Amino acid sequence: ARSKPHFFNFRAGSPSALRVLAAVLEGRATVNPKKGCQVDLVFTTDHYNPEVGEEHLGKCSARVFFRNQKPRPAINVTCTRLIEKNKRQEEDYLLYKHMKQLKTPLDVTSIPDSHGHIDPSLKPIWDLAFLGSSYVMWEKTTQFLHYYMAQISSVNQWKTNDDTIDFDYTVLLHEFSTQEIIPCRIHLGWYPGKPLKVKYHCQELQTPEEASGTEEGSAVAPTELNNF
Amino acid sequence: MRGLLVLSVLLGAVLGKEDFSGHQVLRLSTADAAQVEKVKELEDLEHLQLDFWRGPAQPGSPIDVRVPFRSIQAVKIFLEAHGIGYTTMIEDVQALLDEEQEQMFAFQARARSSDTFNYATYHTLEEIYGFMDMLVAEHPQLVSKLQIGNSYEGRPIYVLKFSTGGENRPAIWIDTGIHSREWVTQASGVWFAKKITQDYGQDSTLTAILDSMDILLEIVTNPDGFAFTHSKNRMWRKTRSLTAGSSCVGVDPNRNWDAGFGMAGASSNPCSETYHGKFANSEVEVKSIVDFVKNHGNIKAFISIHSYSQLLLYPYGYKAEAAPDRDELDQLAKSAVTALASLYGTKFKYGSIIKAIYQASGSTIDWTYSQGIKYSFTFELRDTGRYGFLLPASQIVPTAQETWLALRTIMEHTLQHPY
Repeated sequence: ARSKPHFFNFRAGSPSALRVLAAVLEGRATVNPKKGCQVDLVFTTDHYNPEVGEEHLGKCSARVFFRNQKPRPAINVTCTRLIEKNKRQEEDYLLYKHMKQLKTPLDVTSIPDSHGHIDPSLKPIWDLAFLGSSYVMWEKTTQFLHYYMAQISSVNQWKTNDDTIDFDYTVLLHEFSTQEIIPCRIHLGWYPGKPLKVKYHCQELQTPEEASGTEEGSAVAPTELNNF
Repeated sequence: MRGLLVLSVLLGAVLGKEDFSGHQVLRLSTADAAQVEKVKELEDLEHLQLDFWRGPAQPGSPIDVRVPFRSIQAVKIFLEAHGIGYTTMIEDVQALLDEEQEQMFAFQARARSSDTFNYATYHTLEEIYGFMDMLVAEHPQLVSKLQIGNSYEGRPIYVLKFSTGGENRPAIWIDTGIHSREWVTQASGVWFAKKITQDYGQDSTLTAILDSMDILLEIVTNPDGFAFTHSKNRMWRKTRSLTAGSSCVGVDPNRNWDAGFGMAGASSNPCSETYHGKFANSEVEVKSIVDFVKNHGNIKAFISIHSYSQLLLYPYGYKAEAAPDRDELDQLAKSAVTALASLYGTKFKYGSIIKAIYQASGSTIDWTYSQGIKYSFTFELRDTGRYGFLLPASQIVPTAQETWLALRTIMEHTLQHPY
């Protein structure tokens, strides 16, 4: 169920409308040893950044298909009762304006810091990074591997080219079943309302004998922004 | 600007031992050039000992002046007589200086007692070890510090023993920080230690427990790893032992116990976060506990605390077979998480390790259970992934408070069901 919000967040492409899994209401898994595993779910989601007084629970139903051991599950998800499109666009635009005003180069290392603190002025950076990471996490998710975004370990570049925010950062993903921390270099381009462009490269686990093997992962976002 | 001026006044006070009690800082507003002239006249009156922080300039520009206590009345009469408006920016300069000095020094000062120790922030190894010594010094009748061994890199490994007497009473063991990056656990351990000293004699349940049983609390179970999370890598999980033939460091201390050791649910790759080590108990941090438990021989409950996921787990991790005491452990887990949720509504799931989280071999409580310690539990504290290991410090105390309710439930059950 945790991969659904990653996929959903990426598809929505909106840092101000991020969702997290609240509760799974119903679930059913069908395993076909030759083909893979299909999971049908009904679940609720909560605002990633909850606001006081606001109604927050959205309800979603989804079908996820994992091809045997392969990542990048096929996901079909529909949700109801979410943030209104206009409001979301407005908030995205405000976020965008705020980001454009940030002084570059950004004088920042880890977000959050070791004590879990994120300076309020840096929160939009976190949200945008989370959006990009959602894509990466969805692409890497399998029926056995699932991810959380642990920390932005460095911000390599933050600039605006022709109005698009060009964000190059390194994120640490935490994979739960192996407990591994995986550094991923992510490069994203964002403009409110336009589809997110993501390129990334994650470091893979060192083999017992010597240094790291690396995996190239690179993808450009699908171009349609659907209405939910 | 004001800060700089205050600082210089402070330095003056410290060096010259001046006293600014009752001094006020007034902000004057002048309407025209004539009024500005009047204020300049005031400036010339040396006996008033006025100290202009922002001197008279243009009409309309504010003028800030520190006025000694004995001149206040005279100055205010003068201003009023000439229709010059003013407001009081600082009521009492000395009071402000005292407050700032306090803040400046408090920031650097070490806690003088466990009452002034800051439980709502993360601490270093030195600070936690210092805290332990303070607690023992403050409650010598109740708390003692045992050294059960030394870490791989030579750091002492301590256990706090809470006891009201007796000879080798049945005991409850709690450990935190076996995985060093799980910072909310060591922080909670510190809070638990203080809580026990506060509640003995106050809370009837805890008092009943300590009147018949001992509590053993190991706060920093992996000191080398913990030091490393402060100095080099906040995400470090394992010990810091070197593995011959590999450039990778560390063994997962929660895969190194002698229960299903090396089976599925751990890794044989030294570079992996779940590397089980070359053999069971290869890690001194683990062996120290094993030796202690065997020598003690009378531990009745064993609780190992991790983060994150919000789970309460019982054996087994290495196999799917149900533990013989499964029903009782499941019931108890249910009561414990209900107690936990009663405080802030934090939801925990519960079950055997293998069902609720994943297959894990060589884990702590599988071994302790095999030793006959029936009430063997592992906690995974807050949160469920939003912050993960980097749980904001503001959540330390709420997490410790709610977890304590669950611990108390387990301890009480242990007391009431001797075996």
